[in-house]
Amino acid sequence: MNRQIRRLGAALLVCYAALFVQLNVLQLGRASEYNDSPLNNRKIVRDFTNPRGRIITADGVVVAESVPSDDRFRYQRTYPTGDLFSQVTGYFSFTYGSDGLEKTYNDQLAGQTQRQRVRGFLDLFVDKLRVGDLSLSMRADVQQVAKDELAGREGSVVALDPRTGAVLALWSAPAYDPNELASHDPEQTRLARERLLAEPGKPLLGNAYRERYFPGSTFKVVTAAAALEEGTVTATEPVYPVRREYVPPLTTRPLRNFGGSACGGNLFAILRVSCNTAFAEMGVQVGAAGMVAGAQAFGFNDTPPIDLPRPAPSRFPDTSFFEQNDPLLAQAAIGQNEVQATPLQMALAVAGIANGGTVMAPYTVEEVRDERGELIEETEPQVWHQAVSPATAATVRDAMVGVVQDGTASRMQIPGVTVAGKTGTAQLGTDPPSSHAWVVGFAPAENPRVAVAVLLKGQPGVSEVTGGTLAAPIARAVMETVLAAPDPLEGDPDAPPTTPPSSITVPPPDTGAPPDTSTPDTTTPEEETPPSATSTSAPPQDEEPDVTIVPPTTVPTASTPAPDAPPEAPPTDPSTTGAPTTDAPSTTATTSPSGPTTAAADSGPPGTGTTPSVG
Amino acid sequence: MMAALRRNTELSLILLGALITAGAYALGSLGRLSTLPADIVPFLVVVLGLLLAAHVATRALAPGADGTLLPLAGLLNGLGYVFIARLDEDLAGLQATWTAVGVGAYILTLLVVRRVRDLQRYQWTFALGGIVLLLLPLVPGLGRTINGARIWVSLGPVNFQPGEFAKLALALFFAAYLVERRELLSRLLFRVGPIRLPEPRHLLPVLLAWAVSLVVMVAQKDLGSSLLFFALFVVMLWISTERISYVAMGGLLFSAGAVLAWTQFGHVQDRVDIWLDPWSDAQGAGYQLVQASFALAWGGLVGTGIGLGDPGRIPAAETDFIFAAIGEELGLLGGTAVLAAFVLLVGVGLRTAVRSDHPEPFEKLLAVGLTTIMAVQAFIIIGGVLRVVPLTGVTLPFVSYGGSSLLANYVLLALLVRISDDSARRAGEVPERTRATARVGRR
Repeated sequence: MNRQIRRLGAALLVCYAALFVQLNVLQLGRASEYNDSPLNNRKIVRDFTNPRGRIITADGVVVAESVPSDDRFRYQRTYPTGDLFSQVTGYFSFTYGSDGLEKTYNDQLAGQTQRQRVRGFLDLFVDKLRVGDLSLSMRADVQQVAKDELAGREGSVVALDPRTGAVLALWSAPAYDPNELASHDPEQTRLARERLLAEPGKPLLGNAYRERYFPGSTFKVVTAAAALEEGTVTATEPVYPVRREYVPPLTTRPLRNFGGSACGGNLFAILRVSCNTAFAEMGVQVGAAGMVAGAQAFGFNDTPPIDLPRPAPSRFPDTSFFEQNDPLLAQAAIGQNEVQATPLQMALAVAGIANGGTVMAPYTVEEVRDERGELIEETEPQVWHQAVSPATAATVRDAMVGVVQDGTASRMQIPGVTVAGKTGTAQLGTDPPSSHAWVVGFAPAENPRVAVAVLLKGQPGVSEVTGGTLAAPIARAVMETVLAAPDPLEGDPDAPPTTPPSSITVPPPDTGAPPDTSTPDTTTPEEETPPSATSTSAPPQDEEPDVTIVPPTTVPTASTPAPDAPPEAPPTDPSTTGAPTTDAPSTTATTSPSGPTTAAADSGPPGTGTTPSVG
Repeated sequence: MMAALRRNTELSLILLGALITAGAYALGSLGRLSTLPADIVPFLVVVLGLLLAAHVATRALAPGADGTLLPLAGLLNGLGYVFIARLDEDLAGLQATWTAVGVGAYILTLLVVRRVRDLQRYQWTFALGGIVLLLLPLVPGLGRTINGARIWVSLGPVNFQPGEFAKLALALFFAAYLVERRELLSRLLFRVGPIRLPEPRHLLPVLLAWAVSLVVMVAQKDLGSSLLFFALFVVMLWISTERISYVAMGGLLFSAGAVLAWTQFGHVQDRVDIWLDPWSDAQGAGYQLVQASFALAWGGLVGTGIGLGDPGRIPAAETDFIFAAIGEELGLLGGTAVLAAFVLLVGVGLRTAVRSDHPEPFEKLLAVGLTTIMAVQAFIIIGGVLRVVPLTGVTLPFVSYGGSSLLANYVLLALLVRISDDSARRAGEVPERTRATARVGRR
């Protein structure tokens, strides 16, 4: 019997060994899978009953913190600034999970990253409460200005530092108060969430980086960059004919300018007045491959690597979409039809232009520090896309300066600063007519510290003025606020090299207009120092009779161009498409709108992918 | 002398075990309430007191017994108590009472049963008693169905499971009967196809007893005990006759029975489905297993610490699923320790069986049977919690909350201790003076 007993013992040992193996599988092998399961409440309970780190802006404002509370959860997450940073911090709720930085940096805030937990050998055996504080690159003052300027209208504002990709402001209205979702009262949370989900403006969505809109004429910046990079256009060539409409190949349906106006000229001229017909032809000339490559070089069809959850990629259709379909390509070139961009993407695009053609990866968190103040993580600026060459970027930049100086974006001018910008109006096809009003820009143009994109949704009216009138002042206010504070990268040896200051010259709009009478001061084709440039820029003009071709006087490069002024003409401003606003506040009121020939400009794209006709 | 060595080992192990238990108790309170338990000193005193009482009894009554049986059981009992106290203080009070009763039963058994082979005479009493105990819950008015199994009997304020004692009684019966008939049973004359069977009339009473027990258990929906019983029967048949055919037959029968049960009984199918993938019904039938897996994963290597985990989420955490609670709060290290404790207990039990060398192998067989009960029961429930086998409702010996289970297991322990002591005496390991007090004589 003993032999059998021993065998029995062996068999039982095998059985218990199987138990041991399975124990290992459950407690070690598959542990992380089980711990992360959405059905598993343990992580949430632990995170909710432990304190979390604070989230602090670059100017020292605490926007999220845990305060001790008397109930079973022991800590209450509060957001002292209310809805101001709701899109960025997100919320931290018991039943509904988390969003925003509360989600992407959950482990750091809860002190649960490997680095925070194990700072020494003893920590393997002892569990201490740790937290991590987040220092944002964002500034509360800029964010507040963005919110105030938007003044309750639905829209988004994104401001970033083009040299590093640091986000300075990210606001969209409507927003929400995360305190409501972080409440310990489940009924209250539930009601708040239901209410927010039902709200039409989608406050919980984070529209600035998760919702896509038609970018309208602001996309022409990308088109211009793509065309320059491909060599299809230069600063001076070609000179597009002045016309009211353009019929793309393979169709008979014409593409018109806004308001039926006529426009044409060289790159600077057509950008200044946002000429649809010219850019449409430019897009067709570049070709589908070039346009797709150009857009993708700026980050379209790629998801911005921002440190917030689920950012949306912006869309530009691929080459197969445009096969045998030049009309669609023409529309895409002016930011219509299938082109969709988030405000963040447009800000990144102009940031790329501002930064010598390099688009930096956006981020909101500069540093993570533990409860002792020690640095745990630090964000290093990364390159996201190398969009265009520095020469191309400089050309586009100069053209954009012209748009602000005496183009459609004049309401973005800042005294003493050279501002570059572009307006856009995306028509929505509603009745009565309404449109999205866009503006993008950066400043100071020769050494940019801030790039912005502003979007106002569903504004009444459908003219290019809409973008320039409504959105531009917001952009100006935001940029002014950023520039008012000292440069955080000043004196920082690690700061990325800035594009060398180049002279900003605004070549004469070579629309070939005959020397016009009503332009006293204007941009003379000379080298101008930035501060003076704006003050002498002519107000946006809205008339333009005939056009004559005038060779461009300068080619903006890094060096100081010494333009030879064309002997004739005080360069008058834009071509027939007319300056943006009939009701533009004439800053330096010299020109009086005279010409009846040009209606108020709107070369903004009819936004909704309908046929490219006006209105 | 060996006996003295063993008893001293036992003493030091008991002290260690008591300290560990008290330490765990203190940690549990610190973890949950951030304060030391107010009753930590009385607790330590009581634990030590009970264990020392059992130890003294063993010194007096069974001095030659193996010195690790009692400490292992005591440690498991103490650990289980700490977790029950952490989960439910009311149950903890009851478990403490039952522990005291259990230790009392241990001492009583040692007192009453001086020679295990004397029990052989009562084999038919045990058989009948066992079956009666099994049938008791089916008596209307007396029996109660709890959690779907009608295995409980309520006497006044107390619920107890007669089935736990029935197992012991029937094991005793099997051992006695098989010892008598093993020669006959080992002669497998009949051939039914490839299977060789013994003469039916020899096997009949045992088969009858087994079949009745099985039917009763199935009627009571106590599948775990049925499995345990079946395993016990097959193992004892095999060991007593030394014929591996019985194991083969048993395996076949078991497979047939399992398939039959699976096709016939809906709830068996449910059990198997939930075993294979508890996430298919994670909020309903699979909830318990899912939560147990989550708890174990949460524990990781070193566990969350006693009182710092969340085992209360697991239904029946104090009884069937106490292993998951231990795994969560003591981690892989703690779970392995419990596994190791059971492996050691089983090992000592089997070694006791091997060392028992009386010409009539009743004690040997009984030791095997008792050890098998404990080994298989622990395997079934831990395997169910870990999803190695489908879940069935049996308690984890010494650890789970449960008065009847604790009592029966202490009696089982006492019997093993007695058998171990007997072999030690026969091997001359017990000095003369102790022999005298035990009034033993060789027969």
